[in-house]
Amino acid sequence: MSYGRFLLKRGFQGILVVWGVVSIVFMLRFITPGSPVDAVAPLDASAELRQRIAEELGLNQPLYVQYLDYLWALLHGDMGYSYISGIEASQMVFTKLPATVELAVASSLVAITLSIPLGVISATRRHQPADYAATTFSLVGISTPNFWLGIMLVLLLSVEFGLFPTSGRAYGFIEAFRILAAQGVSPGLDALWQWLRHIFLPAVTLGTYFTALITRLTRSGMLEELGQSYVQATRAKGLPESLIRYKHALRNTLIPVITVLGLQLGTLIGGAVITEAVFSWPGLGTTLINAINVRDWPILQATLVVIGCGFVLVNLVVDAVYAYLDPQVVAE
Amino acid sequence: MADEILKVRNLTTRFFTEEGQVNAVEGVDFDVRDGEVFGIVGESGSGKSVTALSLIDLVETPGRITEGEVWYRDAELADEHRDSHPEAVDGDYVDVRQLPETTRRWLRGPAFATIFQDPMSSLNPTIPVGEQIAEAVEVQRRARANPRRTRSRTQGYGLGRLLIDSVIPSRNYVSDESHERAVELLDRVGIPDPEQRAEEYPHEFSGGMLQRAMVAQALAGEPDVLIADEPTTALDVTIQAQILNLLTELQEEEDMSVVLITHNLGVIARMCQRVGVMYAGEVVERGSLEDVFENPVHPYTEGLLGSIPDLEDPAPRLSPIEGNVPSLLDSEMGEKCYFADRCPKAMESCLHRIDERDAPSTLDGVDHKVRCVLADREYDESEALDGATAPEVTDD
Amino acid sequence: MISPRTLRNLRKELRSSALAKIGIVLVLAMLLVATLAPFMALHNPTNQNLEENNLPPLGFSRATEETTSEMQNGSLVIKNETVLVNASASHPLGTNSLGQDVYSRAVYGARTSMMVGVLGTLLAAILGVSVGLIAGFYRGRVDDALMRFADISLAFPSLVLAIALIGLWGRAAVDIPDPFVMLGVVDPVRSALGLSTGMPDSFVLPGTVIVVVGLVNWVWFARIARGEALSIREEEYVKAARALGASDLRIIGRHVLPNATTPILVLATIQVAAIILLESSLSFLGFSGTTLSWGFDISQGRAYLSTSWWIATVPGLAIVFAVIGVNLVGDWLRDALDPGIEGEGGV
Ligand code: SF4
Repeated sequence: MSYGRFLLKRGFQGILVVWGVVSIVFMLRFITPGSPVDAVAPLDASAELRQRIAEELGLNQPLYVQYLDYLWALLHGDMGYSYISGIEASQMVFTKLPATVELAVASSLVAITLSIPLGVISATRRHQPADYAATTFSLVGISTPNFWLGIMLVLLLSVEFGLFPTSGRAYGFIEAFRILAAQGVSPGLDALWQWLRHIFLPAVTLGTYFTALITRLTRSGMLEELGQSYVQATRAKGLPESLIRYKHALRNTLIPVITVLGLQLGTLIGGAVITEAVFSWPGLGTTLINAINVRDWPILQATLVVIGCGFVLVNLVVDAVYAYLDPQVVAE
Repeated sequence: MADEILKVRNLTTRFFTEEGQVNAVEGVDFDVRDGEVFGIVGESGSGKSVTALSLIDLVETPGRITEGEVWYRDAELADEHRDSHPEAVDGDYVDVRQLPETTRRWLRGPAFATIFQDPMSSLNPTIPVGEQIAEAVEVQRRARANPRRTRSRTQGYGLGRLLIDSVIPSRNYVSDESHERAVELLDRVGIPDPEQRAEEYPHEFSGGMLQRAMVAQALAGEPDVLIADEPTTALDVTIQAQILNLLTELQEEEDMSVVLITHNLGVIARMCQRVGVMYAGEVVERGSLEDVFENPVHPYTEGLLGSIPDLEDPAPRLSPIEGNVPSLLDSEMGEKCYFADRCPKAMESCLHRIDERDAPSTLDGVDHKVRCVLADREYDESEALDGATAPEVTDD
Repeated sequence: MISPRTLRNLRKELRSSALAKIGIVLVLAMLLVATLAPFMALHNPTNQNLEENNLPPLGFSRATEETTSEMQNGSLVIKNETVLVNASASHPLGTNSLGQDVYSRAVYGARTSMMVGVLGTLLAAILGVSVGLIAGFYRGRVDDALMRFADISLAFPSLVLAIALIGLWGRAAVDIPDPFVMLGVVDPVRSALGLSTGMPDSFVLPGTVIVVVGLVNWVWFARIARGEALSIREEEYVKAARALGASDLRIIGRHVLPNATTPILVLATIQVAAIILLESSLSFLGFSGTTLSWGFDISQGRAYLSTSWWIATVPGLAIVFAVIGVNLVGDWLRDALDPGIEGEGGV
């Protein structure tokens, strides 16, 4: 099978999963006690009014009609309007999305840049102080709830030393660049600086678990890889040790690490939800929790659909990278 | 008389395992001459593969080379180190083991190249075969272009350079020239359609083709000594012959010396000029092929040869003599001849350390050495050890 | 199922690994504290005492502004004084904003965490293993459908799904009578030890949380069980048993399941850690049916971070130690049993 066909096949499977995601989100309403009308109607609403609202929301239609309507609307990017604020759900979700993506990307970058060298050092200096430090860090890191870590960081760095703001998001990353372009260097850099100050603690909070996890995976993977006979054979042909370590062993270590990361993407998004709650970060997580609490179905559905599709999309990318790195995957 | 390219003296490698110290290679001596194929034969567990790894200094923990010298003839290298490492230089020879580590590493490729038993596990599964061969070419190219840096600690290739190379995919350490050379080498070892095959991954090759590619990789450094560790064991019988032919052909054309390690006496008989027989970490008998195969002195060699009815049609596996190879655990090795427990001719004098002795040689200028009391005396039944089976009269 | 060889490996690994020992000690300590909570707590964890709120732990003190006003020479004088609040020996780890004993709440919080961790994992394992075995054993369409479903559920992060389900289904909880209190042994023992009596006579089990964490974590078990079923199915003795007419259920029960025990056990241990973290996250966000939970206490302590850091710190440390313990036990099992699952699972 060629690489292109492999991607095509994966893409098709991805579309199936997206369809499943969308359907489950739709069904969620029917396995929930109570009616969406409750969220909209005033508490003392008459039966007549409730009837009218139900009709308006299309709840009187047969199930399959509602389902098809929902799918059809979704295909056109229409996810309904918030029951509470009346804002278009898709617009609401897409204005919140950048904050969450920024957070997830920033913490992944932190995690990847720290953890891979850490794992390599740990594996190549086995049973030395650096290894013990790295393994201890990774054990504590995967065992610490990130919301608590966030609170402790706020306690230490914000409350005690006032280094970082305790919560909120001053500017979006793109917004900061816009300011840079429109208002000149000084306000632009200031905006960027504010952006960095605000995202620092949330990114560290969310990134620590992944740093710890990838360090662990990289360490054990490197140890296994360095024990393979091809490493010895590669040494026998006189390659410098750094080349063997990084080009050969590390690359092969990262292949399974990437798969696990794809699977752990859910943890990243889940972690983002709770990190947003800790730092009042105005992203999808905060939106989701609010929507659940007030049963704002369109917003809830839109958030879940976006999260589910995001997961599928990123996993497609992961698959593509994986297959690029490990040609045997495509062949099988 | 031909000159020796390699003189191995008292090479000793131990493994320090949880169960105790394992004496995998025990005071091994042998010479390899210019342009010859020197065979090392022995059962599995006799220490022949560890000997190969010890030559190129690739014994991995818990193993360690504890003693011995590996004298390699290289006048230039000898001159270079005569002042800085006088103890490591003797005439035109350098003792590889006493050279600085970076120099030792740098010798892998131009001095010693290695072919391993299983080509599939000896190549990185995720990098195209051609690129892996080109790496071996490239490392020599860089070494020639800048010997100083190559012998420095980073060997001219630091992490920064690596990062750049990985970001620019076309680079990947390997230059275009090296890649071209790799394709040439693939062609040289008889791989059809080399351009195309160079881009393929190990799993797309058949076993025989992959072993050819391994040979190509070994040729990349234009080595003086090619160490082939069971190069045909993992292959089909028909393909074995092809690979052996290829090795013979290349050895003659490139004028290399080959150290051929195998358990297969037929391969030895077909390929080698001289041979060493290994048992329990020791070379128990060595000499010219004629001496060792026609007039074996050591009962172990005799047993090995006796197990093969016809050298042209050798049995693929050796287990000719009753009993097993000893465990090689230091605590269990003792003083007596390591073969004594299985030896049909064991005598009282075999209970002490047996040194290598001269045995009669049929060829001028070729030593025939044996680690057995029978080198200079006859078997005497009256001295036979209890439990030793009476020998069968072997007449050729 | 557990062969002598397995036991030997476990013992050997335990002997050589200090970390495994630490893990076992931590887990046993947690289990002990959770079980014997009525005896270990210093106070009833729900008793409020607003006179003694925000007391610092032993060895610390808290500065607070006290405003007093008095009439002096006919005018109102308001004085701001800084007073130090000192620790009290009866609250070694301090009290929270309601004057509840932080230590005793942490002790009872261990119960919630352990119960949810173990029961949630059990539920996830039962669900996942059944689905996985069926999929792997029957293969074909059943397998395709079930695994596609697993893919889809993976697309929802477990925390997100759990929040959604609990938020929508409500936070049902079950009151379970505390066996020790029922037996009437708690008060006598406590008064003999000179401790306050009147411990809570029931324990709140957050039912919805357990069901939901089970529902959102089954996929990992399904994957492992399916893999094992697929490979064991091809074994000669299983084929022979089939040929002899053994029923599918019997083959699964007799051959497939026992072989899958080791990896499932290792995964289950990792999952307990993950579920403890998940539970604490849920109760931190207020999606739980109980207030006696580490996560809930952390969320309470957050508001007092600048003055009373211990309220959020103590339960957090409890979580960290509990999860480290379980993870270490997981590492020990994995290294000793080597089931070939590395790093899968997770929150
Ligand atoms: S030394 Fe003695 S025991 Fe050893 S091989 Fe020779 S005859 Fe046999």
